[in-house]
Amino acid sequence: MKRNVAIISVGYNGRFVSKRPDINIPELIQPAVDTAIGKTKLKHDQIEAYVVGNMHTFEGINQPHLWASDHFGGSKKPVMRVATGGSTGASVYQAAYYHVASGMYDVVMAIGWEKHDEGDAQVGLMGILLPEAFSLFNFGPDMSEDRGVAGLGGGGSTGGAAFQAMSYLTKAHAGIEHIDRVAAMMRSNAAKNPYAHLQQPGCTEADIAKTPIISYPLRYGHTCPTSCGAIAMILVSEEKAKKFGITDRVAWVKGLGSGASDATTGNIIEGQITDPAEQYMCKVVAKKVYSMAGIKDPRKDIQVAEVYSGFSHQDLMWPERLGLVDEGKSPEMLDKGAFAIDGELPLNPSGGVTSTNAIGASAMVRVGEAALQVMGLAEGGHQVQRKIENVVAHGWGGLFQFVTVTVLGRTPVKK
Amino acid sequence: MPGNVVRARVPITFSYKNRVGHALEQYINGLKEKKILGVKCPACKKVYVPPRTVCGKCHKPIDQMVEIGQEGVLKNFTTAHVTIANGEITDVQQPYIIGLIKLPGASSLISGIIKTSSVPEVKTGMKVKAVWKETTQGDYNDLAYFEPA
Amino acid sequence: MNERVAVVGYKQTKHTFDSPVARERMIYELVKSLFKDLGITRDDIDTFIFASNDFTDGRTISEVYTVPRIGSFMKDETKVEADGLNAALYAYMRILSGLYETALVIGFSMAGSEFRVPLTQAYTLDPVYERPRGIINFYSTAALQASAYMKKYKFTDEDLARLTVKNLQNANNNPYAARKEPTISVEDVLNSKPLYLPIRQAHVSAYADGACAVILSSKKAAKKFTDTPVWIDGVGHSMDTYYIGDRDLLGMEHLSAAAKKAYKMAGIKNPKKEIDFAELHTNFASEEPVFAEAMGLFKPGSGKDVVKNGDSGIGGALPVNPSGGPLGANPINATGLIRLAEASEQLRKEAGKNQVKGAKTAVVHAQDGPGAQLNTVFVVRR
Ligand SMILES: [Zn+2]
Repeated sequence: MKRNVAIISVGYNGRFVSKRPDINIPELIQPAVDTAIGKTKLKHDQIEAYVVGNMHTFEGINQPHLWASDHFGGSKKPVMRVATGGSTGASVYQAAYYHVASGMYDVVMAIGWEKHDEGDAQVGLMGILLPEAFSLFNFGPDMSEDRGVAGLGGGGSTGGAAFQAMSYLTKAHAGIEHIDRVAAMMRSNAAKNPYAHLQQPGCTEADIAKTPIISYPLRYGHTCPTSCGAIAMILVSEEKAKKFGITDRVAWVKGLGSGASDATTGNIIEGQITDPAEQYMCKVVAKKVYSMAGIKDPRKDIQVAEVYSGFSHQDLMWPERLGLVDEGKSPEMLDKGAFAIDGELPLNPSGGVTSTNAIGASAMVRVGEAALQVMGLAEGGHQVQRKIENVVAHGWGGLFQFVTVTVLGRTPVKK
Repeated sequence: MPGNVVRARVPITFSYKNRVGHALEQYINGLKEKKILGVKCPACKKVYVPPRTVCGKCHKPIDQMVEIGQEGVLKNFTTAHVTIANGEITDVQQPYIIGLIKLPGASSLISGIIKTSSVPEVKTGMKVKAVWKETTQGDYNDLAYFEPA
Repeated sequence: MNERVAVVGYKQTKHTFDSPVARERMIYELVKSLFKDLGITRDDIDTFIFASNDFTDGRTISEVYTVPRIGSFMKDETKVEADGLNAALYAYMRILSGLYETALVIGFSMAGSEFRVPLTQAYTLDPVYERPRGIINFYSTAALQASAYMKKYKFTDEDLARLTVKNLQNANNNPYAARKEPTISVEDVLNSKPLYLPIRQAHVSAYADGACAVILSSKKAAKKFTDTPVWIDGVGHSMDTYYIGDRDLLGMEHLSAAAKKAYKMAGIKNPKKEIDFAELHTNFASEEPVFAEAMGLFKPGSGKDVVKNGDSGIGGALPVNPSGGPLGANPINATGLIRLAEASEQLRKEAGKNQVKGAKTAVVHAQDGPGAQLNTVFVVRR
């Protein structure tokens, strides 16, 4: 017998922006926590435990939750820190789920944040490869193991992503114009989300196409911004949700899972070049999660998707790997308007990661946005109007290798 | 070093622009005027130093700055024979005292350097007072040290 | 939901100050040999939980290249960025939920050879108050705590030296310990290099290269691994406020709350009587009496008598760190998890020269942050 868990509240610190020179990290987190609690009838002290995370090398503060303890309410409370790269936010939320599902706690808060204006995100990301890079400079190239040297080719994380984008386009028989098109859709979706960072109402394919190429086929307009922002969510057990009398406007966690592959930036493993657009792990995890959620056909049973796309081509790739769209068919879905907020499979009504990316928050924002869609509480015109039973939220991290998938729904899975 | 491990040096220093934040900014500005500022929780009336934007006990936002006294009691101390900077532990020529001090009007103990003519003079319970730099410029060093009152 | 979770396998490296192999190879060999000992493969593990840290690894997303090394390739995997005992706590929760039956937990670092520990500690301090002021750090915090304890309870430098020697003698008999000082005397400790008095070099734990892997399992799945499971009967964790001037350095209310929660789960009413030994994550020797008392293992302020009577020695009333504790080896991220492995070894009567006789119930502890700001406590039983 499993214990049902619901997300009852989602809070942001405010609109995600590129710079917040007026505040420090604890002060960034505090309003997100207060907002999440403020939307409920809970008192702060009723939060029994916290799970927190960010990518702390970006700001140069190891385990910053220690410093922020008073600001989120963690003093004299159980606190656990989880971090898995880009998927951090979702991994934090999953840990919060297990705090409740284990039966140990009934009311748990998950918090994810990033304050990118305090460091250099591309330098932070290069920190993944630095030891490899310097051993390459010192001792010559070593392609014999999964050293990730290919990722160095294009500079920063865009270099690695370009291999993936090229492979995806080839497989889907699509062109750079499809990436331009989906990028434009996300920026205009973002304009309907009051918390999104890059809001461009009516952004067109042509607007995106004007931006320079960074590493073909990826343009500047296909990349995510570096944002400052925080998100907090409250998870409770089914018993507590009943006790609070709030079982109708909550998002039930119906299925969740995570998985790890190797560092797939186009490496050579056992003589085979791995394909970063394959994302077999995502398929495996999605299948497991759907089965847990009692979903037989994700194309019918899932109405909205929030996927984690640091680069716009991924907005086409992930719906396929998640089994929501036939392999290679995303460009066609896009062209016929299926991914629009009023389409048959609304994709990232929030504007997604290419519009807003505070890394440690981003994968949790996908879950939070999914929860808001289920609850019918997405603000500013990005709420999907048709009836929603289930929403899938996805995250990825590491060198295109970690994946997290969650299905949230209007009704809990029967025990 | 064992022969079979090849280590690559990574000669990189990351630089960060960490923000001081709302409360500490006012604290630092206070130092320039030779004032020690704390924040007072509207609910439990505790006064925290250094200031912060929330009371960790009551979870109430705080913005009321209060000035606290500069002459107080040494509650606890350690005699330091080293400094730690940039991850290196370095010996100092003259041992120095790091103390935790209770200043009037503050609920928190404040940490600071205690200067006396000799180390054995220092005792917990002794009265100490803040000594300021002659010209303050709005940084932590403005409050130079504490000495016996 | 699963009702009971057990430690069914564990292994640690022989910790060193300069590992002869790189970290990837270190953890690969460790996990491989643990699987071999138990006669299992990676397919017998449902979920893998790392404990590592991007700062101690000197690398953003530290587990990027370690996934294939522990067998989690194409498996369910996540990472706790704290001491390994917190990863074990997460694994415990995952198994309790009923969604998983087995978990591998691994903590590791190269604290002995690849980074300057005080540097990663400096990065743990806030960047805008403590770090620029340069007064409060992990060492001076420990010194202030030690000084408060020693003054309040007349615990002398000699008492502290005796306690240090007790741990180093235990470490000397521990085959995994990195620090071997078989001849160290109380005099030697008293004369060792002063850092922040009363803390001297000899009191500092042995930051080392090393790793520890532990396998947890549900009651149902335990039989597959072992006939002698060690049960996790209570857990607790709690964090204190950040600034040292706002903390109760001796009472450590958060640590005692974590311990009380674990005792309550385990049905322990009188820890002094019901706990047979303790494995504590002490970064400095001086933390031992403070932690042990906050956890209710000894009467507050009894440190002096405990040392005098040898109560915390292997033959004593309540042995503390029979393994030698982190004074023998402190491979950051693995240190608290090693306490769990050491306690399990004791409970299964595999501890050799350091065996505590008749031990049935143990308490295990881990810490993170300056002055043990975050603490995790397990109660384990055979
Ligand atoms: Zn208050």
